Amino acid sequence: MSLLNRFVLALAIAQASGLAGPQANSASRPPTAASSVRNALAQSKKGYCKENLPALRRAMRGITDKELQYEVGMVTARCAMGMGDDTIAIEALLLLRTQFPADPEVLYTSAQFLSSLANQAAQQLLTTAPNSYQVAKLNAESLESQKRWDEAEAAYRNIVVEHPKVPDIHFRIARILLDKSATAETAEQARAELLQELQVNPDSASAEFVLGEIARRSGHWDQAIQHFTRASGLDVGFAEAYLALGMSFSAAGQDSQAIAPLERYVAIVPENPAGHYQLAMAYSRTGNKEAASRELELQRKTAEKAPLRRAPGSVK
Amino acid sequence: MRLTRRPSRRQLFRALAAAAVPPILSSFQSPPARSAFEEISPSASGIRWQHVAGLSPEMFMPETAGPGCAFLDYDNDGWMDIYLVNSGPCDFFQPSKPLRNALYRNNRDGTFTDVTDKAGVPGNAYGQGVAVGDYDGDGLPDIYVTQYPRSILYHNNGDGTFTDVTSKAGVAAPGWATSAVWFDYDNDGRLDLFVCGFLDYSKAKNVYCGSKQLRSYCMPNAYSPVPCWLFHNNGDGTFTDVSKESGIAKELGKAWGVVAADLNNDGWLDLFVANDKVPNFLFANRGKGHFEEVGLLGGVGVNAMGLPRSGMGVDAADIDQDGWLDLFLTNVDHEMFSLYRNHKDMSFDDLAIPTGIGAATMLLSGWGAKLFDYDNDGDLDLLIANGHPDTTVDKRIQNVRYSEPMLLFRHSGDKWENVSAQSGPIFSKDLAARGMAIGDFDNDGAVDVLVALNDAAPVLLRNNIGRQNHWLGVRLIGKKANIDAVGAKITYQSGDLRRTACKAGGGSYASAHDPRVVLGLGQRTKVDWLEVTWPQPSGKIERIANLPLDRYITIVEGEGKWR
Repeated sequence: MSLLNRFVLALAIAQASGLAGPQANSASRPPTAASSVRNALAQSKKGYCKENLPALRRAMRGITDKELQYEVGMVTARCAMGMGDDTIAIEALLLLRTQFPADPEVLYTSAQFLSSLANQAAQQLLTTAPNSYQVAKLNAESLESQKRWDEAEAAYRNIVVEHPKVPDIHFRIARILLDKSATAETAEQARAELLQELQVNPDSASAEFVLGEIARRSGHWDQAIQHFTRASGLDVGFAEAYLALGMSFSAAGQDSQAIAPLERYVAIVPENPAGHYQLAMAYSRTGNKEAASRELELQRKTAEKAPLRRAPGSVK
Repeated sequence: MRLTRRPSRRQLFRALAAAAVPPILSSFQSPPARSAFEEISPSASGIRWQHVAGLSPEMFMPETAGPGCAFLDYDNDGWMDIYLVNSGPCDFFQPSKPLRNALYRNNRDGTFTDVTDKAGVPGNAYGQGVAVGDYDGDGLPDIYVTQYPRSILYHNNGDGTFTDVTSKAGVAAPGWATSAVWFDYDNDGRLDLFVCGFLDYSKAKNVYCGSKQLRSYCMPNAYSPVPCWLFHNNGDGTFTDVSKESGIAKELGKAWGVVAADLNNDGWLDLFVANDKVPNFLFANRGKGHFEEVGLLGGVGVNAMGLPRSGMGVDAADIDQDGWLDLFLTNVDHEMFSLYRNHKDMSFDDLAIPTGIGAATMLLSGWGAKLFDYDNDGDLDLLIANGHPDTTVDKRIQNVRYSEPMLLFRHSGDKWENVSAQSGPIFSKDLAARGMAIGDFDNDGAVDVLVALNDAAPVLLRNNIGRQNHWLGVRLIGKKANIDAVGAKITYQSGDLRRTACKAGGGSYASAHDPRVVLGLGQRTKVDWLEVTWPQPSGKIERIANLPLDRYITIVEGEGKWR
């Protein structure tokens, strides 16, 4: 570590230690252990990260004093980031995210570190394999994230030309088509891309799912049911596929068929009112009023907890 | 290892929203010589009245909720007159100059004359909407004006004047009332009154919403819900508040729109009530004066995701001609409007997505809405008046605006084609539309439209396309059934075309339609017969033949003929 970096790191740690953390509870560790940790903290703040990082890392998880844990976690993360030890940095940040999920400084530091990590990896990819399809894909994804649809689509299509067997590219093109324009024509183009994706990658549950949704949105329930059935078969944990399958069965008037996938959905995502509501409807239409009432009650409870859509910055 | 990364739920549903398929404009259609709907200027119509909302820095919620409007034939001359609702004095608003509602008499030449002063129907508080019905069965339509903080009932005296009979009738419905509907809930042959209550609201309860930098009109979540009102018509000019014993008041809502129709074909008129941010109500009329709320399991209470939306305008009609009334509902931006197909068991399926109505309404906020056959081809079409309820929304939500264009869908078979773009300049004009009423003000069989705008002059639209097909207009007068024949069904045969039109009560938002029903025939030149099924307690079915074409007729219950 250069002298300058060491200085910057010491400054950052000093700033971090000065942040207002949560109010202290009574420390549960013996005074000697606590004083040892505090000593390691003090040393680290002076720039002696390398010497004290192992001790801080060991102590981090066992501290019950929230204020001390916050300080140790933050200093450990910053020390590790300064030293380029990504493993310890991630470990510390994950702990902080768990223990202090709404703390702005924790969130900011996490975003800063992960962004930096992503940049480093991208640079490394560019340096080591500049002509790989992965570089082209990264570029296309970047354009896509900026909603530069035409450029992103062109970039993905270039990959397909060069690497026709690479999975996920047709899926990405389909997604762009659906994002940039909502017409029957683009939906059909997207459908064609998704079918090509399945030629390249028959295990793509995502492609099957979106094909199902295109069919569902056109009222082609039978096609939708086929695609959602395949999506849920390809990925048994794909919760949305079960919900969409159940909804398609219901829309097709096959309410008894809807029950199994909807029951599966509510088992995976019990906090979502959608599953309970759809299941209540299916139970009701098949004559199971008791189960319908039970699911309706769950729908009410989960809907009450659902986040309210409100204006950005709204205070009411 | 699976290389395909599973997309996030948000990504998928964003893709799905974009995948919705709007209809494609038929390129081979030659445009009509005149727009399907043509805006009639105030100088041409003589309607120079304007709505004044009193939009204030305090952003009192009622300011952006009105107004409603009505087509009615108050003087029984066979020509539709117009009633417009305005704001007025209340605890949060003291107008700098007097405001009033307006009654315009139809001069039978496309122009109207303001007769408000003579008629004595100015309103007396902060007006919202209007419902028209002949509650005393004297053959003259009466006017109920929903207001904050008390509504008002005007009895039609038959000499061009009205009398405020609210106190005697007992229908003030204290609080903030929005829409109302006249219908006979207990099948005693008299029109009862349902009034939508919106929020527990007053100036003292007004809250600050928005950010510190930008105050905005509140969403209804900021206030407590209230029950709606149901008033039983005693037949002597008075009403009894039966909200509690009927089961209506048991449900607390935030109601904007209401339509009365027999949704399960049991002979009792049910109610569909649009609520904002709480589940919509589907009040199943179980007879003996009792209603049961079945909206959630009925599939109309919340959206497919199990969450309440911001229901505002409603309508009921048999869109697929299967003998069961379907429903339409408007919501706010990013919620899509709903077209509910009747599942024939008091539950409904939402067709918004497969019909393209969902995609077309994704960013819009709808209020007034009506399923009607604007081109008289025999199929019900759909007209919607839009506008976001918050004046600051342009600054807050991308791609959403306070003023929005209207939408027109042409229905043919199972296709709903968005024909707004080729139906006239009005469909590209941004409006803060609220109430909307349909009515044939020039008696040419092409049903015209009146749109009430917030803080602006109303828009009167002449229908230029309906007269290109043949039609028959029908006015029904009940005898044993309620006089306005709310709940009646008219089935007609014209060559290969057989259709049934149902006369629902209320619908749209805060507005009242022309009570006559126009039956579209397409290019067919004869009505073979028509059959009227009168609502209970009559239930009589009358078949009438030898019918004329391209004119209005009147059918009186029990006469077995037209006149």
